[in-house]
Amino acid sequence: MTEADSEIIKPEMLKVYVWLQTSDGSIQQVEQEVAMYCPFICHEIHSGMGSSKNYPISLPSRVNPAMLSLILDYCRFHQVPGRSNKERKSFDEKFVRMDTKRLCELTSAADSLQLKPLVDLTSRALARVIEGKSPEEIREIFHLPDDLTEEEKLEPIKNTMDDPRIRLLNRLYARKRKELKERERLKNVETEEEHADDRSVDDLLSFINGGNEDSKGSRTSKNKKKNRKRKDHDKTAPLNCISTSSSNSSSNNAVNMNKKESNEPAVYGKLPPDLRNATKMLDIENDRFDPEDEFDDCDLDDDIDPALKEKIDREVEDFARRLNSDWPERMQEILSLGQDRRPLQLTINGNGSLRRFTSLDQRQK
Amino acid sequence: MSNMKQREPPEVPRKVEMDKISNLPGHIIDKILSHLSLRDAVRTSILSSKWRYKWVTLPYLVFDNQSVLVSTQDQTLVKNKLVSIVDHVLLLHTSPIYKFKLSHRDLQGVSDIDRWILFLSRGSVKEFILEIWKGHRYKLPSSIYSCQYLIHLELFNCLLKPPFTFNGFKSLKSLDLQHITMDQSAFEYMISSCPLLERLTLMNFDGFTLLNIHAPNLLFFDVGGVFEDVSFQGTFHLAVVSIGLYVNTGSERNLAFGSTGNLIKFFACLPHIQRLEVQSFFLKYLAAGTIPGKLPTPCVDLSFLSIRINFNDMEENLAALCLLRSSPNLQELEMLARAEEQAIARIVANVLESFQNFSFNQLRLVKIVGISGVRQEMSFINFILANSPVLEKMSVKPASVDGGWELMKELLRFRRASMYAEIVYLDP
Repeated sequence: MTEADSEIIKPEMLKVYVWLQTSDGSIQQVEQEVAMYCPFICHEIHSGMGSSKNYPISLPSRVNPAMLSLILDYCRFHQVPGRSNKERKSFDEKFVRMDTKRLCELTSAADSLQLKPLVDLTSRALARVIEGKSPEEIREIFHLPDDLTEEEKLEPIKNTMDDPRIRLLNRLYARKRKELKERERLKNVETEEEHADDRSVDDLLSFINGGNEDSKGSRTSKNKKKNRKRKDHDKTAPLNCISTSSSNSSSNNAVNMNKKESNEPAVYGKLPPDLRNATKMLDIENDRFDPEDEFDDCDLDDDIDPALKEKIDREVEDFARRLNSDWPERMQEILSLGQDRRPLQLTINGNGSLRRFTSLDQRQK
Repeated sequence: MSNMKQREPPEVPRKVEMDKISNLPGHIIDKILSHLSLRDAVRTSILSSKWRYKWVTLPYLVFDNQSVLVSTQDQTLVKNKLVSIVDHVLLLHTSPIYKFKLSHRDLQGVSDIDRWILFLSRGSVKEFILEIWKGHRYKLPSSIYSCQYLIHLELFNCLLKPPFTFNGFKSLKSLDLQHITMDQSAFEYMISSCPLLERLTLMNFDGFTLLNIHAPNLLFFDVGGVFEDVSFQGTFHLAVVSIGLYVNTGSERNLAFGSTGNLIKFFACLPHIQRLEVQSFFLKYLAAGTIPGKLPTPCVDLSFLSIRINFNDMEENLAALCLLRSSPNLQELEMLARAEEQAIARIVANVLESFQNFSFNQLRLVKIVGISGVRQEMSFINFILANSPVLEKMSVKPASVDGGWELMKELLRFRRASMYAEIVYLDP
């Protein structure tokens, strides 16, 4: 190393040393000019510390021997005057090539020694690690506990949809759905069947972000979500004002809604775009508690009395028409998320209900 | 599915083992997050419970195309999405916002911005950057004028109409206004009531035509646009000036402003100018009125001068020579020919003869760009070469390849006062 060379050249007697003590109690002797590069140590030296082994400068607890030696390497290089920017840059680049755990420790240690340029360097390096990664990947890299529930993860993005107009429309829908549910309850139809929702937190996050999340990350959370869902479906369902009795028909509804979103024209062909969007929006707005339940909410099964359904549709349509002209598009945008995954759901759930829905469609003609 | 199986089991021991990053001090987390795009920063909120609200203390909020990706092309969709994103972020954000930048290529000047500015004006925002890339000028709400902590203000495509209660920006050091509209008195008042103003950039403005710059601490002034007159008041520290007049007003028109001549007037308040760029038609403005052989006070600090010039215009030549003579310590000179109006060659040779005994004692680098090899240009080059004893390099780049050979032959013949001078011919 060039640093070592310069050490040899310099007459030994001119060198001043300073004693440093790390948190583990070990004491070491370091060239003062190198150590002085850290403002913390510099300050200590000026207050008379570190001149002998008996009065070492005790370093902050975040600086362990390994980190100290790294930091001194950094200081040794940079305290030499006359280095070109290019040299410094390439040194820095190599210097931060280490695993993220050490990088974090180093950042923390450098911060406690007030070595700002190194803190800047390491935080930039850490930012580069995080940049563009999916939440799953970041958790993996930094060993972060995945201790948020899915609904907690969704919470921060809820307010993006907190539009009074949507709430109004939502309330209208909820009331209508309740009516439908009442009728259904009497009918006592199909047996309960689990449905899977492929939407992940990432999908919803794309509201904020507008980008398409990487599919790998989404898939992981999907799997997890499904698991959880099976466990506490009973718990979550009653909390959702609408889905109290919806479990009966949930599977079909899920498929139907999916179908609507993937093959819109076939199902919604005759509905005005306003309504189409309104319905879609609803799916998200309603899952206050659990995103999986979103599809349970919309009952467009063919068990419903077509006359009543038409009536509801008309009402909602009217309402939707009264809303500002800009918002249907907005809803469409919000709802277009993850469209590419819809066909997948169809294969999961089978085509039975799809056919049924088509028949509903025909009936409406 | 297999994904999950791999992931789940080791998670518990690991969790106990180490999660170094989450325990870093808040200011470091802020630092890390500020290197990320806003999008990535906000996304950290779903990493874990510790990361839940880490991003909300980010001091810099930048909403641009990188940090807010909107995939759709539809205008309304884009707008709505952007609006909801900004609303969302501002609502969740908790600590003081140091910098707020809104510059999305797809965002027009919608009224939602009013609300954000009002919100920011209640805090202590120090840097505010608003760039409206589409549509009409966005009229700034009055709340912007009460942002008393502003240090840097940057506006693009905005309409400024300060209220009567506006007291200026007392902390503002840097102002950048481009494609803006404001009226004469509002402009003057704004400049003069920012006592700490150091940097002023003005590009493509309308509503005012007189640039009366009263700013005692101004160091840097970059202006480009259509204006009738420019005058400085008390700008004794001004060191870097780049000024471009985008319209050829003709010297006659400018005569109206003072009989002393624009050159003398312009430099009167610039005693410490170090770098000057005279762009577009501004030399024409300077050439209006009396052109002295030399400025009353030389620009002793001027080390860099760039002039866009019509070599065939007698007045412009005289003005350029006046500048050169008044810059004894000039080290770098750039002359850019305004080729478009060089068609009519007039006899102006005698201009240079009166300066024979002059010498550029510090001039080391000269750049000549866009010449076509006409007589006046060549005699200017000859004049510089013959009177620059320490010249190191002169690069010449003609406007076109036509006549390049002739030009080179002529260049070779010129005598050089500096034995080290190198002439570099650059292909157009």
